[in-house]
Amino acid sequence: MANLSRRNFIKLGIASGALLSAGEGLVSPALAGSVQLQHGGKDFDFITGTERKAVPTACWSCETRCAAMGYVEDDRVVKMESNQNSIRTEGKMCAKGQSGPNDVYFPDRILYPLKRAGQRGEGKWKRITWDEALTEISGKLKKLRDDGQPEKFMFSYGLMKASSAALIKDVFLETYGTETIGNHESTSNSAKWAAQELTWGRHYDNWDFDNTKFVLNFGSNVQEAHSNHVPLSNRLIRARVEKGLKSVTFDVRYSNTAAKSSEWVPIKPGTDGAVALAMCSVIMQKDLYDKDFFKFIRASENVNASVDEKVAALKSHLAQYTPAWAEKISGVSAAKIESLAAEFAKAKPAVVISSRGAHAHFNGCENERAIQMLAAITGNIDNPGGRCRGVEPKWESPEGPKDKPKAKRLEIVDGKGTALPTHHVSHQSLKMIKEGSGGRPDVYMWYCYNPVYINGEANENAEILKDEKLIPFSVVSTIVYDESSKLADIILPDATYLERWGWEDQVCPTQVPEYYIRQALIKPLGEARDFGDVVIQLAEKMGMPLGVGATKEEFVSKSCEMTPTVKAAGGIEYMKKHGVWHDPNDKPQYYSYKEEVKTDGAVLDEATGVYWKGNAGEKYASTEGAYKKYVGQKIGDKVYRGFEPDKLNKTGYFELYSAIMKEKGFGPFPTWIPIPEHEKMKSDELILTTYKVAVQILSRSSHRKWLSELYYNNPAWINSQTASARGITDGDKIKIKSSVGEIVTTANVNEKIIPGVIAVSFHVGREESGRYGSGNKSPMAHDEDPDLARKHWDAHGVNPNKVISNASDPISGQMRCMDTVVTVTKA
Amino acid sequence: MGKKEDISRRDLLKTGGVVAAAAAATGILPETAAAAKEELPRWAMVVDLRRCIGCRGCSIADKSEYGVALGRFNTVVKNIEFGKYPEPKKYFMSRLCNHCSGGEKDVPPCVEACPQAKAGDREKLGGKSYRTGATYKRPDGMILIEPSLCIGCYKCVEACPYGVRSPDPNVKLTRPDREKDFGVGKCTFCRHRVDQGLVPSCVNTCQGRARIFGDLNDPESEVAKLAAEFKLLENRDKSTLLPGENTMPHIFYIDTDGVLAHYKITKENKFKEYTNEFE
Repeated sequence: MANLSRRNFIKLGIASGALLSAGEGLVSPALAGSVQLQHGGKDFDFITGTERKAVPTACWSCETRCAAMGYVEDDRVVKMESNQNSIRTEGKMCAKGQSGPNDVYFPDRILYPLKRAGQRGEGKWKRITWDEALTEISGKLKKLRDDGQPEKFMFSYGLMKASSAALIKDVFLETYGTETIGNHESTSNSAKWAAQELTWGRHYDNWDFDNTKFVLNFGSNVQEAHSNHVPLSNRLIRARVEKGLKSVTFDVRYSNTAAKSSEWVPIKPGTDGAVALAMCSVIMQKDLYDKDFFKFIRASENVNASVDEKVAALKSHLAQYTPAWAEKISGVSAAKIESLAAEFAKAKPAVVISSRGAHAHFNGCENERAIQMLAAITGNIDNPGGRCRGVEPKWESPEGPKDKPKAKRLEIVDGKGTALPTHHVSHQSLKMIKEGSGGRPDVYMWYCYNPVYINGEANENAEILKDEKLIPFSVVSTIVYDESSKLADIILPDATYLERWGWEDQVCPTQVPEYYIRQALIKPLGEARDFGDVVIQLAEKMGMPLGVGATKEEFVSKSCEMTPTVKAAGGIEYMKKHGVWHDPNDKPQYYSYKEEVKTDGAVLDEATGVYWKGNAGEKYASTEGAYKKYVGQKIGDKVYRGFEPDKLNKTGYFELYSAIMKEKGFGPFPTWIPIPEHEKMKSDELILTTYKVAVQILSRSSHRKWLSELYYNNPAWINSQTASARGITDGDKIKIKSSVGEIVTTANVNEKIIPGVIAVSFHVGREESGRYGSGNKSPMAHDEDPDLARKHWDAHGVNPNKVISNASDPISGQMRCMDTVVTVTKA
Repeated sequence: MGKKEDISRRDLLKTGGVVAAAAAATGILPETAAAAKEELPRWAMVVDLRRCIGCRGCSIADKSEYGVALGRFNTVVKNIEFGKYPEPKKYFMSRLCNHCSGGEKDVPPCVEACPQAKAGDREKLGGKSYRTGATYKRPDGMILIEPSLCIGCYKCVEACPYGVRSPDPNVKLTRPDREKDFGVGKCTFCRHRVDQGLVPSCVNTCQGRARIFGDLNDPESEVAKLAAEFKLLENRDKSTLLPGENTMPHIFYIDTDGVLAHYKITKENKFKEYTNEFE
């Protein structure tokens, strides 16, 4: 461990007593002796030396939601650090988490309920009371519900997870009866999640860097941003340095992750699947596969096929995908593909990791299925050092009224023509509202979400949200005045994550679940209210009491008492004191698919080999929601837990052959799907890709001054060869034009990107997010932050979503954030 | 690495005096203070460049720990890029005050540049201190600033060859004629945390565990072990910044990729090199 001496240390009291001060009068005693420094868990005011109040809590900057410690001084949040006892974070925190106090105190924060006072979008607001706001909103909601039209209440959310989702979605919205609920997942990772649901059942994966010998990375920038960033990032770099772990990164861009890898292999956008397929082909043809794991693989229509038959079927399917073929598509040399395939297969264990670089494409789901296949045929699934199904804590929480209505919904959250929208296609919702065939909401409410900015065709999104004929009434709960809240009718001031309660459940890299909670560090500023409290109050006013407690805090307390393991550990009082809990006797969850299960009360579905609790005459594969009744998979004469389904009626095999895909008209095996627009590109066209950086958070952070000071502008990366062919030099003003729009930015001509591509980061290009993020003052903002006068940047970047369309992967509905065809010229 | 090579004879003499004075002031038995002298730490940091992923957690942890004003940093990470596509190179150069011990005279340039305080003011530094200006070196190696003694001449800002000092809007001068001017800010090694037995804030947060802080005089400390393993003290020309300046930095770099050779700090660029843009 860093900084810990093995020698006995002099007790600090004595050490402090041995004054060695040479300065600061006599107020600053230096320590003497061999001192064992603590890593954290305390903090002190640097002037007065006063100890700051430490409150265990949880970060909510990005989806990772790390267990944290907040420090409070004079009722002010002054400092964040990681929770030193967290097995997920191991006491580490990133720049994003460290900037947390900015969320509370940025001068443009929304602190009072506001009602539109002019035309929608005109920017005129009047302050109203909470009672006025709740009365107006609950009145409209109650009428819809009383009229039997609850589906006309549309709700969209972004980063609303764990306890927030349990209260707001599972209790409030379900009790209300609307299922017209959208989210942000199609702009996130839905292609990968669908691929994982098709193959191993659950949507989320973990990468076991602590135990692996080789990392093969398709398009993940895990050292800068990821939905489980710090827990994975800190482990990856540790293993790289301490164990000499080799890592190879395929990416169109030399990201910081690529820079910290053993090798960067540039790859053309959207072709990761071709390389993965060719690697699988090499591994099968050279017999480098893991024969034992094939027992649990499905590789043909016949669920009782022998291992040899399955191997033969895969070999046959993959024969077409030679390294030479993949080289032509991806630009990665055949020799490199062959050597990496062999190295990966022989490393044992090895982990293949992947993210949006591989899947935010037209062919995203298939690319991810090919990557899952690479892990499976080499036996690197759910094993120490491999690609594992994520392990998260299982909280129990109040469920609200027992009798909930059968939910109704408008058909506007799954797009049109998406085969498996298991995470919705919500980025197309506004377009669907405009088009009108799926109906239109009377009330649109969104939370933790900025639909105008984060979805493609940003300009059109704003036009639709502004149109009162399309959306008569709109409400947002937010801390920041952004591109979308600007177009709302009522803005509710949300509490920041440092002012509210919650329990959290993100996956732990050690395969042992960690339970952790968020405590409010201070009372909300102004009249801000946690939206969790607000839905309870709205429900009360509608005569629809939820019965989950009067506040989110109560909801969280009850959850701690309802969750058996947490209750046994000491319940809410333990969690308030420590913030985190895991069972020290828990063994890491590997190989759970090998467990044999009892089939009591279950029936065998002969066609699939699935034991399930279906009714007589029902077929597993074709019965809606059958997966919820899954018990086990018959393999040979035994029944295993297998790779249990989560959202689709798959078998309990690891499905490389998918009857579901076949039924939907796709190849049952992972298949190469070219990107149509890329097939017919003209010679002067480029592919626009997008990316994230380590010092901003999705669209959530440009108001944080400490982050925007580091990253406020996003010049477009372009390879020097590509630039010079267009007469573009570094710093030139350039125009990027696509079929849906154009943006003008500056060129960052460099050596860190594959030719033929232009890269524009996400995060900035904000039209509103207060003065630090956009230069614009928000309504009723104050001027009391002395840093306002010290802001030293005027540029605020561009939003790539103005040139990216809302088209999606036809299988999963994933938005194609990484494969837009554009022209780039000097502006 | 058993010997106390970081504390010069001169330092120890001064320290002895301080210990005695302090002991007298607090009623600690002189023997206790004398024993403590033998155990005097020499705080230092090892930055393992292999481990730095460029996340800037250190920079923001410091901003937050001290409420640092926009426009200045106490600690920065610089991108070092070279090479041509398809084999570009990018490294992260993690920087902070070097807490130099100084060359032959044992006086770092900032301390040397700082005007001597008036006789009466010296009491504020405990009577007998090491160079009684506002900028001083504590016997455990920390280079600190006593704002109440600072006259705002900014000679230390110019004198530091690394550019780590800058006028700090959060530090007001106390002289009546300079009330509107700023004092000087820089990294303090988190003196207020270390004195309470905690690692500096940047070390606490560092995702890569690239920043390792400890007592170079304790052979069991991780910094001492790393110094021995990578011969950091013997090869200061490869393990510290601007070895030619002979400032004897106590930030040591583990630099297995030869990153420092690509990094140039000059009189002309030293302040620009201490800014912190991500790209």
